[in-house]
Amino acid sequence: MNKILSFLLLFFVLWTSSRCSNSGSLSEGYRIAVIPKGTTHSFWKTIHAGAVKAEREFIDQGIKVAMTWKGPIREDDREQQIQVVEGFLSQGMDGIVLAPLDDRALVRPVQEALGAGIPTVIIDSALASDAIVSFVATDNVRGGELAAEHMGKLLEGRGKVLLLRYQEGSASTRNREQGFLRKLKSDFPEIELVSSGQYAGPTRDTAKRASENLLNRYGQQLQGIFCVNESATVGMLLALQDIDRAGKVVFIGFDSNEILIEAIRTQQLQGVVVQNPFRMGYLGVKTMVEHLLGRSIEKRIDTGVIMVTPERLDEPEIQTLLYPPLEQYLE
Amino acid sequence: MLASLSKWFARFGPFLGLALVISIFALLSDFPEQYLSFRNFRIVLAQTVIVALGSIGMTMIIISGGIDLSVGSSIALTSVVAALSLQQGIPPSVAVLLGIVVGAFVGYINGLAITRLHVVPFIATLGMLGIARGAAKWLAGEQTVNPAETWVNQLAVTFPDPAWLLVAPGVWISVFLALLMALVLRNTVFGRRVFALGSNEAAARACGIPTQRVKLWIYTLAGLFFGLAGVIQMSRLRQGDPTVAIGTELDVIAAVVIGGGSLSGGEGSILGSMIGALIMAFLRNGCQQMGWPNYIQEIIIGAIIVVAVAIDRWRSSR
Repeated sequence: MNKILSFLLLFFVLWTSSRCSNSGSLSEGYRIAVIPKGTTHSFWKTIHAGAVKAEREFIDQGIKVAMTWKGPIREDDREQQIQVVEGFLSQGMDGIVLAPLDDRALVRPVQEALGAGIPTVIIDSALASDAIVSFVATDNVRGGELAAEHMGKLLEGRGKVLLLRYQEGSASTRNREQGFLRKLKSDFPEIELVSSGQYAGPTRDTAKRASENLLNRYGQQLQGIFCVNESATVGMLLALQDIDRAGKVVFIGFDSNEILIEAIRTQQLQGVVVQNPFRMGYLGVKTMVEHLLGRSIEKRIDTGVIMVTPERLDEPEIQTLLYPPLEQYLE
Repeated sequence: MLASLSKWFARFGPFLGLALVISIFALLSDFPEQYLSFRNFRIVLAQTVIVALGSIGMTMIIISGGIDLSVGSSIALTSVVAALSLQQGIPPSVAVLLGIVVGAFVGYINGLAITRLHVVPFIATLGMLGIARGAAKWLAGEQTVNPAETWVNQLAVTFPDPAWLLVAPGVWISVFLALLMALVLRNTVFGRRVFALGSNEAAARACGIPTQRVKLWIYTLAGLFFGLAGVIQMSRLRQGDPTVAIGTELDVIAAVVIGGGSLSGGEGSILGSMIGALIMAFLRNGCQQMGWPNYIQEIIIGAIIVVAVAIDRWRSSR
C-alpha cells in the first residue's frame, strides 16, 4: 500500500514536471537534436541561442523544424554523452547535431545512428569518422597560431612562456595547443617554453588549482602565459590575481565571458582569441536541415576566429561577438 | 496476511518499481511506441551493463557490511590496462583477462588494507579511489589509449552481429554472471558466510568463520567484476579512457540500495540490485525521451534512492 502511495507521489512529480517543460512535439517536420559537451558554460548557451535562431528562421520560411537541446548529465563524461546520442537514436530524430567530447569514443554511436537512418552534423570538435554530413567548427589551429603571433609581438620575440592545456582527449583544444606551439617555434625561436605538459582539467576549480601549482613553480620567471579555453583562462586569471601577478605578465586566453572581458579592460589580460559559437550553433542546425531538404552542403565549414585586445574591445563587431543576443533566443 | 503481503513486497518491490517506471513513461510519452520499442530496450540494456556488473560485486560487499568507493577508478584503470594490452599486440582474449585480473588485484589490495592494516572499508577504498585513478592516468600517459579494432569492441555494441543475439553480448554475460553469483550467495558455504559476516561480525567469528579470509575473498571477487566492467567500458568507448566513470561507484551503490541492500550489512540480493540498475537506466532514458532537462533526472533519481530505502526501513521496523 505504502509503496503504491509513494509511487503515486513519484507519478505526481513526473506529471507536474512534464507540464512544466514544453517539449516541442511536432507531429510533422524535422526533429533535430543538438547535443553539446555540457550545458553550464556560456559558450554552450551561445551555441544554443544560435541553434534557436536557425530553428526560427526555418519556421518563418514555412519549414517545420523542432530543435531539442540536451547535454550529457555529467559534463565532460564521454559515456554519458554516448547515452544521450543513443537516447535520441531510439527516439527516432531526423538529424543530430553533435559536439563530440572525444574524437574516437563517439564514433560508434554516430555510426549506429547513420545505420538507423539518422545523419549527424559535427560541430566544435572533430570526429574521427567519415560517417558525418559536415563538420562545422572554428579553425582551432588558426586560433592557436593567432595567440602565438600576438604573444610573440607583445614579448618582442623573447621571453619565457607557459602553455596550460585543457584536458586529455579533447580534439579542439589539442589543435589550438598544436597551432600555438608550432607557430611559436617557427616564428619566434628565441621564446622559451618552460612548461607545456600540464592540463587544466574540466572546471574553473581544477584549472585554478593547476595554475596555482604552476605559478608556484614558474611564477617569478614567466613573461607569457597562454590558456586554451574559457575555464582554463579563468582559473589562471584567478590564480594570478591571488598572488598579485595579474597584469604583470603577458596573458592570452581563449574564449570569453564577463570576468575575462573585465580583465581585458583592466589590462590583466592582453587578449583572448574568440570563436563564434553563435554562428556555430546557427550553421550546425542550418546545415543539418539543408541536408535533410536535399540541398548540397560543404563538408567543412569554418566559423572563424578573432583576437580581442584591450584596444579593439569597443568595436561594434567585437561587441556582438562578446555579447551575443542570448535573451532574444533563450527564455 | 499482512505479514505475507509484506514479504511479497520485499521480494517483488523492486520489480514493481521497475514496471511502474516503465509504464509511467509509456503513459506520459507522446510516442509510447518508441519508448516501448525493442530498439529502445536494447539500448537501455546495453547502457546498464557496466553498472549491473559493478553492482554484482558491490552487492556482495554491501551484504558483508562493507563498501567500495573505488569502483569508478577501478573501471578506468582496467579499461586503460585492456586498451594498452591490445595496443601492444597482445591477443584480445589475454587483454580482456589482464583487465579482469588487474580489477581483482585492486580488490585484493583493498581487502589487505581492510584486514591486515585494519583500515575501515570506507577509508581504504577512498584511498584506492585516488590510487587507481592516478595509476590509470599514469599508465595511459595522461591521454586516451586507442587500440586497433578487435572483437572486444563487439562486446558492448547495441546492435550485435550476429543478429540472433538480440542484445549486446555484454548483456548476456551480465545475466549469466548475475545468476551464477545469486546461486553462490544463496547455496554455498561462502555465500552464507558473507551474510553471516554482515549480520553480526562478532557472532560470525565466534562461530568459527574465518572472517578476515572471507573478507579478502569478497573484495578480490568483487574486483573481478569491476575489472570486467572496465573491459566493457573500454569496449563501449573503443578506447581506454583514464578519466571515465568518475562517480560510477555512486550509481552502483544506489543500484544495490534501491534493490533492497542495506548499508549496515546482512541484507541484499543480486536480483534486486540488477533491477535497481535497470530502474535508474530506464529513468535516465525516459527523462531524456520526455525532453526534460538534466536537473529533473538528477532530482528524481536522488528522491527514488531515499524513498526506496525509507520504504524498506518502514517495512522492516514493523
